[in-house]
Amino acid sequence: MTASPRNHSNAQWVARIAIMASLALIFSYIEAIIPYNPGVPGIKLGIANAVTIIALYKFSARDALAVSVIRILLAGLLFNGLFGMLYSLAGALLSLICMIILKKTKAFSIIGVSMAGAVFHNLGQLLIAAALIGDIRIFFYFPVLLFSGIVAGIAIGIAATLMLRILK
Amino acid sequence: MKQYIKKADIVLLILLIVVGVISTVFVMQSRSTGNTVIIESDGNLYGKYSLYEDREITVKSGNKRQNINVVIIDNNEVVVKESSCKNQVCVRHGAISRKGESIICLPNRLVVRIEGEGGGYDSITS
Repeated sequence: MTASPRNHSNAQWVARIAIMASLALIFSYIEAIIPYNPGVPGIKLGIANAVTIIALYKFSARDALAVSVIRILLAGLLFNGLFGMLYSLAGALLSLICMIILKKTKAFSIIGVSMAGAVFHNLGQLLIAAALIGDIRIFFYFPVLLFSGIVAGIAIGIAATLMLRILK
Repeated sequence: MKQYIKKADIVLLILLIVVGVISTVFVMQSRSTGNTVIIESDGNLYGKYSLYEDREITVKSGNKRQNINVVIIDNNEVVVKESSCKNQVCVRHGAISRKGESIICLPNRLVVRIEGEGGGYDSITS
């Protein structure tokens, strides 16, 4: 009775974000220990993004942003290093902005939103790499990253759809 | 029962594939065989080398010369054999041999790229 409902919901929010961020961090870790080398840096599944999508659909854009920023900072400190962090942040922010806009249109399913998110994630990483290197020619990687983004985005979108079905 | 795939998804997929195909064609066209290996370190030109002469180049960069990359030109292909960086992305990168291709080591700020200066007949003669 005495506890204010505002505090209660704040604590709930912190707990929820913490749980989702840790889950995403574990996915980042699993991704980091999978030993495979496609020859081009940047091709990966992005399992952690499934958590971001779930946060976006089940809760809010604010939650999705919090989860992905916390996850990237922690993953950066633990395994990716400062450069990895910069890369991931650029990719994740562009991707999230794109996903929020597409979700707002209500025309796309989770799979479509996830696909666009993955493609823009790779685009964001290419942009930051071009800025850091100061060489636009890095965009030679664009086609292969675009196609890998489409495939990864669809796969993660399907996974997120199935998970959200269970969570309902 | 909710629809899992919507029309807009398909449109988006087709759009992305079209962009992908166009950019692939664009990249392929601009990629003819190269003949010069250009190494840039810390944003400056470090050296130019012929792609057809096998050699090993040790690039030391950073303000204390602490960042080391070993670039190998062998059999008309270029690889980064060793790097002092943490992520080793440049070392795991495949060999490059065509114009426009590059290997980049972000932590050491190293760019190895191939350019073609003159001569478009290498693909026939080699």
